[in-house]
Amino acid sequence: MPRWTMAIDLDKCLGCQACTLACRMENNTPIAGPEQANLGRAILWNEVIPQVEGEYPNVTARYIPRPCMHCEDSLCTKVCPVKATYMNEEGIVLVDYDRCIGCRFCTVACPYTTRYFNWHEPYYPESLKAHLNPDVPLRPKGVVEKCTFCVHRLHKARAKAEAEGRVFQASDYVPACVQTCTGRARYFGDLDDPTSLVSQLLKSPRAFHLLDELGTHPKVFYLREG
Amino acid sequence: MKLTRRDFIKVGAGLAAVGAAFPFVKPGASAGEQNPVAPKTARAATQSEKYLTTVCSMCPSGCGLQVRVVDGRAVKVEGNPLHPLNQGVCCPKGQASLEALYSPERLPSPLRRKVGKEVAASDLAQWEKISWDDALKIVADKLRALREQGQAHTVAVIAGGLRGQMRPLLQRFLSAYGSPNLLSADSLAGDAARLAMFAMQGINGYPVYDMDNARYVLCFGGSLLESSQHLQKFLSGYGFMHRGQSNRAKLVVVDSRFSVTAAKCDEWVPIRPGTLGALALGIAHVLIKSGAVNEPFVKNWTFGYEDFKDDQGKTHSGFKRLVLEQYTLERVQDITGIPGGTIAKLAGEFGANKPALAIIPTGRGDLASGNGLSSALAVHALNALVGSMDTPGGVQVQQYPAFAKWAALPGDAGAEKSRAQPRLDGAGADYPVALSAYASLGENLASGKPYAANALLLLNANPVHDAPQGQRFADALKKTPLVVSFSPTLDESAQYADLILPALTFFEMWQDDVVDGTGYPGIALRQPVVAPVRDGRNPGDVILQLAKSLGGNVAQALPWASFLDVIKFRVGGMGISWDDLVANGAWSALVYTSAQPGSKAWGQVVGRDRVNAPQDGRFDFFSRELFAALNNPADDAVCLPHFDLPAEPANAQFPFLLTCQEPMTQARYWHGIVPSLEEVYGLQVGMRWDSWVEIHPKAAEALGVRHGDLVWVESAQGKVRVRAKLVEGIWQNAINIPFGQGHASAAQWGRDNAGKRVIGVNPLQLVAARTEKNSGLPVIAPTRVKIRKTEG
Repeated sequence: MPRWTMAIDLDKCLGCQACTLACRMENNTPIAGPEQANLGRAILWNEVIPQVEGEYPNVTARYIPRPCMHCEDSLCTKVCPVKATYMNEEGIVLVDYDRCIGCRFCTVACPYTTRYFNWHEPYYPESLKAHLNPDVPLRPKGVVEKCTFCVHRLHKARAKAEAEGRVFQASDYVPACVQTCTGRARYFGDLDDPTSLVSQLLKSPRAFHLLDELGTHPKVFYLREG
Repeated sequence: MKLTRRDFIKVGAGLAAVGAAFPFVKPGASAGEQNPVAPKTARAATQSEKYLTTVCSMCPSGCGLQVRVVDGRAVKVEGNPLHPLNQGVCCPKGQASLEALYSPERLPSPLRRKVGKEVAASDLAQWEKISWDDALKIVADKLRALREQGQAHTVAVIAGGLRGQMRPLLQRFLSAYGSPNLLSADSLAGDAARLAMFAMQGINGYPVYDMDNARYVLCFGGSLLESSQHLQKFLSGYGFMHRGQSNRAKLVVVDSRFSVTAAKCDEWVPIRPGTLGALALGIAHVLIKSGAVNEPFVKNWTFGYEDFKDDQGKTHSGFKRLVLEQYTLERVQDITGIPGGTIAKLAGEFGANKPALAIIPTGRGDLASGNGLSSALAVHALNALVGSMDTPGGVQVQQYPAFAKWAALPGDAGAEKSRAQPRLDGAGADYPVALSAYASLGENLASGKPYAANALLLLNANPVHDAPQGQRFADALKKTPLVVSFSPTLDESAQYADLILPALTFFEMWQDDVVDGTGYPGIALRQPVVAPVRDGRNPGDVILQLAKSLGGNVAQALPWASFLDVIKFRVGGMGISWDDLVANGAWSALVYTSAQPGSKAWGQVVGRDRVNAPQDGRFDFFSRELFAALNNPADDAVCLPHFDLPAEPANAQFPFLLTCQEPMTQARYWHGIVPSLEEVYGLQVGMRWDSWVEIHPKAAEALGVRHGDLVWVESAQGKVRVRAKLVEGIWQNAINIPFGQGHASAAQWGRDNAGKRVIGVNPLQLVAARTEKNSGLPVIAPTRVKIRKTEG
């Protein structure tokens, strides 16, 4: 079984937010609208977090695209009282929307704030429903949702390989954000394969994890600038 | 907000109710009752899925898209891996473009105005549906009548973002009909770069920058990685500069604002707004003085570096003397506010790292200070000084595919006479070197100068919103007897139209796209990946149909039945397979070969499109094209890169300098109907669904303005109310409002949104409609403004 991992090279990332919107269009995260967005309720599984520091003229900024980290020692799965959120055998942290009771323990426990609560039914103007991705269900009101590494793409890629009578390979599948990345800053692959590009990149002196000190062992890692 | 105990009880009760409901909710199970459609998770074997290609039209870059179509619905957009510009990636605007395709704000069919022309008909109830045949008959009858009255020149097309064969087709239509008025809205953005390319290098087109292979890139203006022409090329180049080679190249951004581009570059150099040209000349001064100039190139392949004598024996000043005498470090430091040491350092780095590249900005609001052309000349001169002309890592020239040639226009004395009339925007007359002069157009139309317009066709242009003092445009549209808009939505200008003939989107029609920004030639294709969502039409087909109805030489000039036939005719000359083009979505040569100075190919790099200057393979520091176009100007400086202070004089009443930039999330042609772009709109300041004004904290402190306060930003022209965001990264008396917001939206976005609202503010309401001398470029920023707190 592969262990899926994502690397994000901040030296190539442009803060363009293509990942954010590729994720939205792929995974049918609803349009919040101005009122809900101002309450901080916009659901964007893959937000870009700006950090601007310094005083004029010595200003620096870092833009960190932040999907779910799919932590090896994930806190969200530990606190879930109904085992709705879990890690599958390939290391992807998922939510079973049928089991989720909307208690939001996981949302609070997640140090990366990557988990989103559905305060309402998703709302779309009628005509916009046409572009919803038929591979991904809309989430009902009252459940928590998050980045799935586009797991439906994985299922499809496996089925396709099987139908074509060949062995599934790690390169058969990438999440939408990786595919669209304008700076080609994202890499995706199998951490258990020592020859994979992500495994190699993890050895780079530029590699780091967000909030490493928490011991969550995120599977998404970054490559620092310069 | 103060929470009371009562509030807690309410929240608690709400949560209890929500919790109770959960166990019964099954995702996907209750598709019928729930408001949202629940897509089928178990996909039936009968489901048809295919990937079709098209080309994005959200911004002027024209990236190839691959659209996933399931059961006749477009459900996802990816980049087309076979398109040479984006090679498989796709920016947020492209990602969200399906929201434009399926927008609830798209008009259902052609519409005719029911109410009087004096009001903006912003409500669909003020319009009546009309059939395409009837609508086209109205337009054709009017055009025919005007032509018979000898008024053909009073018909104008105002167009933005024309791609591929649409521009020559419209040009041909108007020429055959007898009008000189194909008026471009594109002069708001990159025309300074195009004019500089033409004036100095004799190339009609945008400069192509080989950023990938440059060692040092000096980017003037702060929109390169957000809203420049050829955007995706720079996004790819940025990654390649940093990580694609063993020796990391350096990117420096000079701008008054710490934009995302400035944040991502290796060094940000803050500069006083409107003084980019002076910095370029200061750098040229240091390069020349320190001997870092590429002497062999400058000596053998440029014109006007040293003083020279013309045929009449008159001595003209050369670039070298002008720069050495007038643009000393001390003076440039005073003008730009950049310390002399920093300027010298930039010059040293620029001269020492080869190849080095100086980039002319092409975003909207860049180089719009009344000195746009001369500043663009100054920036481009740097490339010639270090010899970065058609070298790897230097300035390249876009090559074009070998299209089939258009037949000569059928002769028609009436059309020839009337298309020789001056243009409505004054380009070529009031503004002798202008490609178009959009900013002057509103005033000209409203006051009937040089003559009154009788019919206006708006295609991809929304001048009431996207031109300075759009209200003048509204006045003009009210006065014009027939205004036809091709807008797919009821935008601010369409509200003043008599007829709306809604265009289809790039997902629903055939259009071609000439690849621009790669250097090597290429072509891409838009095609109907889904059936038309609304009763719209391809504007190209509409023009062809009008030509047919008009008959005579117009019909002869445009004998094609559909726009698809026009594309097939033009592509037919290229010797490539049509089926491959349809399947791949793009074709390109994929190889760019640099020319050696003096070689036969060099003629394609310098001087290719020259009209007045000799095609002698020399790059003009002293522009012989300008010299001829301006009719032997007395002052040599106007033909040389030079610096004029921004048109806006100091004014104690309006102490701040307003600049405007487009963020990455600003779609140029479909903005206002793409909700997901609004939801991530202002990355740096965390602003969604709104505009903001960036103010330096020191300035804000003096005004008593805090982060997040609503303030009035007021100029001599008008005022807008907008939220203040205090940012360190901005020139201390400059402020910035993003360019392009302020559209009214009629749709309901989000469940508790009332619908019908204006999203953000349009900073152009603060800007006077002024036009740069000679070049016709708009003068937009900096504009002098003041800020005051709103009461309460």
